[in-house]
Amino acid sequence: MADPVATPDDLRDNAAFEALMWAMARPGTLHDLPEGLTDLVLALVDRECRVLVDDPALAQVVAATGAALVAAPAADHAFLTRVDSAMAVLAALPAGSPLYADQGATLVLPALLGQGQRLRLTGPGIEGAIETAVGGLPDGFIALRAARCRYPEGVEMVFVDGSRIMALPRSTTVEGM
Amino acid sequence: MSPPYSTLANLTRPWAAFSYGFLDPSAKREMRRKMIKAIAVPGCQMPYASREVPIARGWGTGGLQVTLTLIKPASVVKVIDQGADDSVNAASIRRFLARVSGAAETWDTLAATIVQSRHRIPEERLRDDQVLVLQVPNPEPLRPVQPNMSIARQMHADADYGRLWLVLYEQMVRSGRIMQGAAYPALVNGRHVMTPSPIPRWDVPKLNMARHLTLLSAGREKRLYAVPPFTKVEPLVFSDVPYKVEDHASLTCYRSGLRGVFMNEIPQAAGGSLHEASDSHLGIKAIRRAEGEAVEIGPLWYRDGEFRG
Repeated sequence: MADPVATPDDLRDNAAFEALMWAMARPGTLHDLPEGLTDLVLALVDRECRVLVDDPALAQVVAATGAALVAAPAADHAFLTRVDSAMAVLAALPAGSPLYADQGATLVLPALLGQGQRLRLTGPGIEGAIETAVGGLPDGFIALRAARCRYPEGVEMVFVDGSRIMALPRSTTVEGM
Repeated sequence: MSPPYSTLANLTRPWAAFSYGFLDPSAKREMRRKMIKAIAVPGCQMPYASREVPIARGWGTGGLQVTLTLIKPASVVKVIDQGADDSVNAASIRRFLARVSGAAETWDTLAATIVQSRHRIPEERLRDDQVLVLQVPNPEPLRPVQPNMSIARQMHADADYGRLWLVLYEQMVRSGRIMQGAAYPALVNGRHVMTPSPIPRWDVPKLNMARHLTLLSAGREKRLYAVPPFTKVEPLVFSDVPYKVEDHASLTCYRSGLRGVFMNEIPQAAGGSLHEASDSHLGIKAIRRAEGEAVEIGPLWYRDGEFRG
């Protein structure tokens, strides 16, 4: 049998997913992507996905994976490079249903990690509570998230700051401080 | 749709004998998407396509697909079959994983980065950086009370789990105690009841507020679910009938001398039975230590048959 060959693409996708998996499993902790936002696109989406993108360059990357480019109400993944539309997108993304919780979308957006609004997180993946800070989000974003995440319905969030990420799965309770 | 449209030509990759980690990139991306949702809604079963892998369905294909998605050249994999590393099933899966990924094989729980298991959780406590992958034959805890999958889905949506207590109550009435030995239903994160795969009652507390991540996957039934670290996993009980694990505190392993761990019973031709530690590599380590080798044994979940977390 031939030796297994891990291509650079294989290794990048694996590393990006490992960062994302631990970020989701331990909300509020920071994890490193190989390079940045594009790693998440390539590790997660392909022609089975419907994706919202706000940036023409990133849209090219997404379209090349075979994913359909759609508006927020039809998207299963949203990759934002700016936060101007974040409130509208979060308000419109599918949140699944108690019957089909897996249909809740994943929202990836930029934020400043470790500065700005202080948050206290509790829930699965967190020993007791964890305090963190996320800056650069629109006013009312955390409140809108709480309104959309009516467990087990909800939207998963991944904050990207360069090559660092932090995730908030729908199971996390977020309190402003 | 906006250009560039993806075509078969630009989605095609150069020929290779097989994809790294056996699964093709598209299969892995689907697994990744579902694993993220499974972690986000602990205990909730997420459907997935379940690709063909070169073992028969029902022999660990679900766990195998999760492990193949996670595996990388630096991974160290341990595969357990009912506690043993050296059974045909465990050895075959472990060798396959190493062959298609270049990952290292181990029997040692402490050395593993990924532990794929059929029906046991190691006795040594798993750490923050370890992933436990459990093979699941039947992921639906409601199947004994509701064979219709669509209705069972609605019952999960409504958190309508009363009939599961009825099953336990009927066992109490008939037998005087709860007879559910393996796959004991447990409430995860206060919302979804899951079956923890057919691990013994002994192993269910190891999932509650654990440090490691657990992924459970049923290849034949095409569903996966997860228990993230620090997530409540509460076996269903009555307020006046506490959860009890198997009473193995007083048993001694006849080969290694270990006490206070989960035991396999080995009936003897002359009557009676002997017991041996189910976690076979823990037994090996205990024997080596007794022979004077410097062997590291990690902290155990149980002491003297009592769970201490």
